[in-house]
Amino acid sequence: MAAAASARWLRIRCRLCLPLKSRRADPCEQAPSCRAFIFCRFYSESAALPNVEGADVTGIEEVIIPKRKTWDKVAVLQALASTVNRDTTAAPYAFQDDPYLIPASSLESRSFLLAKKSGENAAKFIINSHPKYFQKDIAEPHIPCLMPEYFEPQIEDISEAALKERIKLRKVKASVDMFDQLLQAGTTVSLETTNGLLDLLCYYGDQEPSADYHFQQREQSEESEEATEENNEKSRKKAGPQLGVTWRAKNNAERIFALMPEKNAHSYCTMIRGMVKHRAPVQALNLYTELLNNRLRADVYTFNAVIEAKALMVNEKFEEKWNNILELLKQMVAQKVKPNLQTFNTILKCLRRFYAFGRLPALQTLREMKAIGIEPSLATYHYIIQLFYQQESSAKGSPLIIYDIMNEVMGKKFSPKDPDDDAFFQSAMRVCSSLRDLELAYQVHGLLNTGDNWKFIGPDNRRNFYYSRFFSLLCLMEQIDVTLKWYKDLIPSVFFPHSQTLIDLLQALDVANRLELIPQIWKDSKEYGHTYRSDLKEEILMLMARDQHPPELQVAFADCAADIKSTYENQDARQTVPDWPANPLNYIAVLFLRAGRTQEAWKMLELFRKHNKIPRNELLNEFMDSAKASSSPDQAMEVVKLASAFSLPICESLTRRVMADFAVSQEQKEALGNLTALTSDSDSDSDSDISEGK
Amino acid sequence: MLRRMSAVLPLRPLSRLPLCSGGPEALAAAVVLLGASPGAVRFFSLMHLSRTQNNIQRYFGTNSVIYNKKDEQSVPTHEISKETESQDSVKENTKKDLLNIIKGMKVELSTVNVQTTKPPNRRQLRSLEATVGRLQRAPEDAPKKRSESLSPELVAAASAVADSLPFDKQTTKSELLRQLRQHEEDSRAQKEGERPKISFSNIISDMKVAKSATARVSTRPVHQIQFDEGSDDYGGQEKTADLRKSLRKNIFKGKRLNIFDLKAITEEAPEAETAPSLWDVEFAKQLAAVNEQPFQNGFEEMIQWTKEGKLWEFPINNEAGFDDDGSEFYEHVFLDKYLEDFPKQGPIRHFMELVTCGLSKNPYLSVKQKVEHIEWFKNYFNEKRDILKDSNIHFN
Repeated sequence: MAAAASARWLRIRCRLCLPLKSRRADPCEQAPSCRAFIFCRFYSESAALPNVEGADVTGIEEVIIPKRKTWDKVAVLQALASTVNRDTTAAPYAFQDDPYLIPASSLESRSFLLAKKSGENAAKFIINSHPKYFQKDIAEPHIPCLMPEYFEPQIEDISEAALKERIKLRKVKASVDMFDQLLQAGTTVSLETTNGLLDLLCYYGDQEPSADYHFQQREQSEESEEATEENNEKSRKKAGPQLGVTWRAKNNAERIFALMPEKNAHSYCTMIRGMVKHRAPVQALNLYTELLNNRLRADVYTFNAVIEAKALMVNEKFEEKWNNILELLKQMVAQKVKPNLQTFNTILKCLRRFYAFGRLPALQTLREMKAIGIEPSLATYHYIIQLFYQQESSAKGSPLIIYDIMNEVMGKKFSPKDPDDDAFFQSAMRVCSSLRDLELAYQVHGLLNTGDNWKFIGPDNRRNFYYSRFFSLLCLMEQIDVTLKWYKDLIPSVFFPHSQTLIDLLQALDVANRLELIPQIWKDSKEYGHTYRSDLKEEILMLMARDQHPPELQVAFADCAADIKSTYENQDARQTVPDWPANPLNYIAVLFLRAGRTQEAWKMLELFRKHNKIPRNELLNEFMDSAKASSSPDQAMEVVKLASAFSLPICESLTRRVMADFAVSQEQKEALGNLTALTSDSDSDSDSDISEGK
Repeated sequence: MLRRMSAVLPLRPLSRLPLCSGGPEALAAAVVLLGASPGAVRFFSLMHLSRTQNNIQRYFGTNSVIYNKKDEQSVPTHEISKETESQDSVKENTKKDLLNIIKGMKVELSTVNVQTTKPPNRRQLRSLEATVGRLQRAPEDAPKKRSESLSPELVAAASAVADSLPFDKQTTKSELLRQLRQHEEDSRAQKEGERPKISFSNIISDMKVAKSATARVSTRPVHQIQFDEGSDDYGGQEKTADLRKSLRKNIFKGKRLNIFDLKAITEEAPEAETAPSLWDVEFAKQLAAVNEQPFQNGFEEMIQWTKEGKLWEFPINNEAGFDDDGSEFYEHVFLDKYLEDFPKQGPIRHFMELVTCGLSKNPYLSVKQKVEHIEWFKNYFNEKRDILKDSNIHFN
């Protein structure tokens, strides 16, 4: 007994303190002997053993051996994972592969993820299409998910088992063929198997399912989501091949359904669901009547489908549709069918298309849910928000709703219950942004960070939308220091900013008079792939050039301006249409002048001539100032020449300044007189003048 | 067992994994700091900070889109005070002065109307709404109140104004008088601090109107605020009234459909257990995809691999994947108890002890197999009992 106890104790000690390595390093010669012996031997060398024995001797009363605790296999990892926080200075973990590949813009990050996923898919495809080359089982114990899956039916003969196998492998056409062959052979197929076949046909609309590559499918469903948000029946039909499947009359499902000698409720239900899924509401409703006539009961999913069918009916008024839906709900009560979350979500989803008419029914539906104890999911609130804040401009219509919703959901942790659950945060943030309510936005963001709710932010594009709206709101309403903190926190570890987001930030900096940060922002925007965004560059230049600043800041600005100038020049090299907009030219020239980089500034002046852009009066005046500072009448002359080349009205006053401020030679005076006389000088002339001046 | 593990280990590159996004230090921190994590603290303090500050600063800004709340509040106050002042002076002034004042007031009132479409201070809003509300109600009230409130001089002055204008004289006069009455009532109401109990204004005052830039230019009077901005004509006047009523309260309280019965829903109906159909499976897949996010750190990726069966399970255990009917190690090692039926001494005992010793070191046999092995010897010696007796060895 004592020996057993001490051995067990040892075992526990071993688990606690034996480092992983020592166990691994334990010589392999021990392997054939028993496990417990390893531990004992290991410990007999250490000082631990005498202690144990001493304790056993002195402690007369029984030693209570702690119960062995069994942990979930991922418990340790979960505990470890919960200690890791987001590193705001690093790219998200998903992108940490090769430093060279870490994406710096949203476009790059998207292609990164797509590339990664498509690589996985390609490997899977190869393995699954050539299973015979991948038979070597390299892992021990066996790892099933590394082995090829069999997608080809193994049973060759014509039997119900073969049909079942084909249904399981989701071979639509093969199953139909098998079913037909069985019928021809005179074999009756059991009701259960036929229903399985109907499920398959109805779910995929009698089309072969597209290869089950998850990532691609999600992309498609997103596109369709965008389409439904526009409430356009037409655009829905166009979206995506998977959704393009429509219910064809007399398809295999209908044929098999008609052939069935006996049908149960399941057969009807799956047919109705399939028809609704593939947008054949009229047939679905007819079949529903048939089901009722046969005194069968529909299940709740079928009711959900029929509700959708009622709402899909064209040429009916909203009021009529709503009454039909209510009628269906009453039938549910009569048939003692319990509604579920999807029932109400379907209703709300349909009411979305009723515009303002849907608002009152939607609220009543929501209350009904609450009253009978069905907890709304995030998708429920998403539908309500969409209904009440359909266009951003009309958000003022019913602003209370969102506050009520936020009060309700605050601090709750959600689990996925509806496929649309991941749309909530996006639409909530959209409303915050249209209401310009920062407090509310903080609430929404707080909810997002409650528990595991952040997982509901949805795919990449939704996340970007959410965070750009949130950050723009911060720029608009929040104090600049706080905004900058958020900037550091969110960008780039959470999302890559859009150029408009950066412009918002610049405006916030302008408002708070923190223009000294602009060069940094420019550096960031270059990194995030906005090097060639002319609106962003123009905004940056405008803010830098607008006012006079202390000299050291001007130097920094001039560096930044030079950098921006080089991007314009590179752009020229990339494109065949080299075009310098007038404003950046002006700004860059001013910035160079103010930073004392006169040489470069004068070169900018040549660019004006080259690209035939008109310099501003203030710029010319500043050039004149600079010429005066270096007391160079030649430069002053050049300014006047340029002004006259563009026949600017300022030419005259500039001439006067030259006369007054500079020691002008006789020759130059004459030239000046000529210039003012012939204000409409041709370009080629002035060009040659300048080259002479040089 | 150990050999087995080490053979597999190279396939599972544990140590080479980038365990978390922060590199080795973060890993150390992750392992050590099980409790407070600095990132979280920072985040919350940030949230806190921003909350306290936004009260002061949130409306600060020169961007044209921002509408300045402070302005909003000050303008109506200013105008109201003007109104009341002028109201007092009206009573003593001569006809001519009155004319000007009335003209001025009319303009002011219309600007007030415009501004009530935005939410200023609530109390002011209330009184302003009362103004507007009266505007609507005035025709019915007129006969009753005409004589009681306005002084005859005012009435005379108003009729003079009406005479001077080229429009329909009777209407002009009555309009002027109506407005005067409203001003008087307004100022009286403000003095007494009494809140007019008009249901309409109650509704309005409970509503919060969007602070959008478009509200500013909107010239639509308050009483026409519409819930239905959409392109509908379906909900009639009645519907909107209903909607307003239900909006006034919490959206979760109010009339419901009253179709389902709580009792019927909660009572347990015997559910026929059927195998999940294709629909169920696909719906479950969809749901699982809803909150699927890329991994946040290496541990999450390892969790995923563990679930897929690609990774050795934690805590690392050299018995992992070794299914032995749940028997414990001592059952493997201490096999002496199976020797009770054997002789206490002699060559058979000696032999059997050697057998159990060998068995106890054998990792490849299960406990059941070991016991069977011992049983086999027991049977064997039982069968050979005669021979054993001959050679003077006792078995039992």
